[in-house]
Amino acid sequence: MFQKTLAFRIFFAISALLIGCFVFLPLLWLINTALKPSDETFSLYFFFGPLTLENIKAILTDSTIMNYLKNSLIVSFLSSFFATLVSAFAGYSFSKFRYTGRKVIMGAFMMSQAFPQAILLLSIYLMMQKLGLLGSYWSLLISYVVFTLPVGTWTLKGYFDALPDSLIESAKIDGAGHLKIMRKIIFPMAVPGMISIAIYGFVWSWNDLLYSMTLVTDPSRRTLAPGLVMTYLGEASTNWSAMMSASIVAAIPVTIIFIFLQRYFIAGLTSGAVKE
Amino acid sequence: MKKALSLLLVLLMAFSLVAAGNTEASEADGPAAIVWAGWSGEEEASKAIFQEMREGYEAQSGNKVDWVGWTWADTAQQLLIRLQGGEQLDIAQADIGIFNTIAQTGTLADLNEIFGEEYLTSTFPEATLEVGKIDGKQLGLPWSMAAITMVYNPEILKEAGWDNPPTTIAEFEECMADIVALDKGIIPYGVSTKDSTAAGDLMPWLWTFGSSIFNEDGSVNLGPGAVETIQWYKDMLAKGYIQMDIGRGDARQLFAQGQMAFYDDAVLAKGQAVSAGVSPDEVVNVCSAMPRPVLNEGDEPQSTMWGHMLMIFDASEHKDVAADFAKYLVSDEVALKYFENNGMPPVTISASENEAVLNDQYLKGFMDSTATAKLDETARMVNANEIKTIVVEELQATLLGQTTAEECVENLRTRLEAL
Amino acid sequence: MDDKHVKGRLTDGQVGFLLVVPGIAIFVAVILYPFISAIIMSFTDRSLLSPSYDAVGFANYLKVFSDPYFLKTLMTTIIFVVFATIIPFTLGLIWAIVLNQGFRGSEFLRGVTLVNWIIPGTAIGFLWSWIFNGQYGILNGLLTALGIIDENISFLGQTSTALLCVIIARSWQMLPWYMAFLLGGLQSVPMDRIEAARIDGANNLQVFRYIVIPGMKQIFFLVLVLGAIGNLQHFDIPWTMTQGGPARATTTLSLEVYRTAFQNWKLGQAATVGTIWAILLAAFSFIYLKQVKESE
Repeated sequence: MFQKTLAFRIFFAISALLIGCFVFLPLLWLINTALKPSDETFSLYFFFGPLTLENIKAILTDSTIMNYLKNSLIVSFLSSFFATLVSAFAGYSFSKFRYTGRKVIMGAFMMSQAFPQAILLLSIYLMMQKLGLLGSYWSLLISYVVFTLPVGTWTLKGYFDALPDSLIESAKIDGAGHLKIMRKIIFPMAVPGMISIAIYGFVWSWNDLLYSMTLVTDPSRRTLAPGLVMTYLGEASTNWSAMMSASIVAAIPVTIIFIFLQRYFIAGLTSGAVKE
Repeated sequence: MKKALSLLLVLLMAFSLVAAGNTEASEADGPAAIVWAGWSGEEEASKAIFQEMREGYEAQSGNKVDWVGWTWADTAQQLLIRLQGGEQLDIAQADIGIFNTIAQTGTLADLNEIFGEEYLTSTFPEATLEVGKIDGKQLGLPWSMAAITMVYNPEILKEAGWDNPPTTIAEFEECMADIVALDKGIIPYGVSTKDSTAAGDLMPWLWTFGSSIFNEDGSVNLGPGAVETIQWYKDMLAKGYIQMDIGRGDARQLFAQGQMAFYDDAVLAKGQAVSAGVSPDEVVNVCSAMPRPVLNEGDEPQSTMWGHMLMIFDASEHKDVAADFAKYLVSDEVALKYFENNGMPPVTISASENEAVLNDQYLKGFMDSTATAKLDETARMVNANEIKTIVVEELQATLLGQTTAEECVENLRTRLEAL
Repeated sequence: MDDKHVKGRLTDGQVGFLLVVPGIAIFVAVILYPFISAIIMSFTDRSLLSPSYDAVGFANYLKVFSDPYFLKTLMTTIIFVVFATIIPFTLGLIWAIVLNQGFRGSEFLRGVTLVNWIIPGTAIGFLWSWIFNGQYGILNGLLTALGIIDENISFLGQTSTALLCVIIARSWQMLPWYMAFLLGGLQSVPMDRIEAARIDGANNLQVFRYIVIPGMKQIFFLVLVLGAIGNLQHFDIPWTMTQGGPARATTTLSLEVYRTAFQNWKLGQAATVGTIWAILLAAFSFIYLKQVKESE
């Protein structure tokens, strides 16, 4: 994209160095903390000092924490999947169809991001209770899907807007139905966008604390974020090194998935370009 | 299109109605399953013992105890949400603040009716029962109580030339000066200047200087002693005796690292030291309770009450089982085990006379202050948190030099009177 | 499913509507219904302490508007939202450009960058309060070691720096998100146009100014709006780092609402702040929709 002129090289080197430091040094410190013995947690040495795998081992062998991790993975995957699917339908609809009420619904979707979630919580709790969903994965899935929906719909609408209408028209002339057009033409071309949304939805669910803590009180179904806070942020003491270790351990599988998705992300893009 | 939309709405409503009608009827016969809520059953340090308590009771009674837990900081809010929804809730753990909040909802059962007054007065000392009593009703059952007083590190004090902790404010200031003179970067006094604990820490100092936030009748007091107290805080900050951005958590952290000489805490102060690797028996060497220094020799040292209680809910269908379980929890055997494991001081007359409890040097310092400990001034107020937030905001503004001590007290008075 | 059958009976508009139905269904249940009940709540004295409540008309609104701190909170919110959006956006864009160069390991770095974003907010809040701590803070340690300062600075304990610290922590958390979106955007800029411009002798800056920016205009807008809304909602990091202090320096609307609802138990008043905030955002969304309309 950019020519490797001297000016660009300088820009590149300085940016890479500064932003790299900003992004990775705190992260390395986090890892550094996770590897320190618990009585050294607050010592100011950076890797050069006593290190131990004890904290990590303790997390990996803690079946409760591992169960929280499993729950988080399940809930995040499912909600991310549903959110992407529902958003793709809605985004496609907003982009390529015209009907009464479309603008209003679009506006309403956008607005739904606008109301403070702490206030919606009580109503959602009471509704989930009425529906008998309290304590189930469903209560979380539904809440998370809806919080990803606005972002997802609007992002994917942008992607679909960029696709020429002629593509759809010619498919129609060839006799393809709406579902076939979506499945074979539209969605494949929006794969990068859909992956961005899937990741967004995933992380939303992954990081949620308040809803998860309120809607699911059964420890066997609890997700990681509230699980960690409840376990390590006590009334009397806080175990930061364990909290850091657990955060890092939990981040590893997700990072691997993301790195894998990055490849797919680019593959999706190039194949879309080739077809065009 | 409008038709489709209204149809959808109707369907949704119908669905929710059907679902609403589906709530399960609870079983009246056979062993009961009660729900016990709180936070300690989630925490690393107390998870195991809480499970033991439940299992022990289940084995003994044949009833079932289901645990529902959150973080300590979220417990009041989560209990309230659960109460609004009417989900099953039979018995809950509470500290004094949470107890006050839940008691305000009017959903707690009067324990005099459940346990009978005789059991209560013969089992618990009068002073601890008082903590759980509101308007003549016994709404909280004492479980673990002691004072929030000052804690010091004897090793640091010794290094600064003090074999005994200071007893008057003048001595306290001298001692802090000596600690600064050590030039080791140790913060002399970690009084809270952040979050709601800053308000809690300020109160006993206000009392020490002969003032208080409120009068007995609930009107705002903040007499001349209040200005003195705030000015004293300002002076301590200027001399480097106290620091900004210190909350209870930070203080515990720094204290456990040996970077702080004094701070205010309850008996569970031990927890952080133990999790930082100090052996529970040796905690007293680096973390000892002391009476708060007084203004004039002979004054009574001030401290606030700290405690855990058990509450039983009026709407519970198994109040008898909940009460039975509560009795089990405060019984000598269980309470002493809890003490042994987690250092939580038992409250019953019989358990607190146990040798192990009486001989515990660490606990002794806290128990000595308990006899004269007072309730936090907001402990019976509906808007306790709001008051504390205001106090902290104004205190911080003054410590940061935005207002003088006089202005601080005036602003506080205006804002508190406007509530 | 039988595509032909569906096609035979429904118009395009109806198909379009059917596609949004799942979205609408969830939306109505989880947002609209609570949203409307919250607006109704804002006209009552509803409290978390009791299920019964009375209508109080505009009393809550009067109370909020007469609160001397409301404007300050609003200002803090705006500063937080603007800077916590612009900073990670700019850094994220540069980082995306760097990582888009496709050097060895860039793909790995892209993945690893995302780690920041998947660490629980509470842990991030703690990490950064530790970095900025006035006593044993890492930054103070570093600055002292470099000889830049003699005395530790209590970054989170003074009003002048506390908000900045919170913004930096939030930027660190969200940078990966901006990076991911902007990287996607960068890769969708048509290469043939860039090549054509190169042939016409355009330099890097010109390519960036006249091709990359216009090509990414929509994604810029989207990311900025979503980022800003996310920041408006954001709660974890300032709550962990400062609890809104010192002296309200980091109290944003989101913290205020949480505190009003879940510490002071005043649901009615919290809903009022929420409704005012929604109205402000409605104006914001209106601009967004207009922009979208223009680009359509």
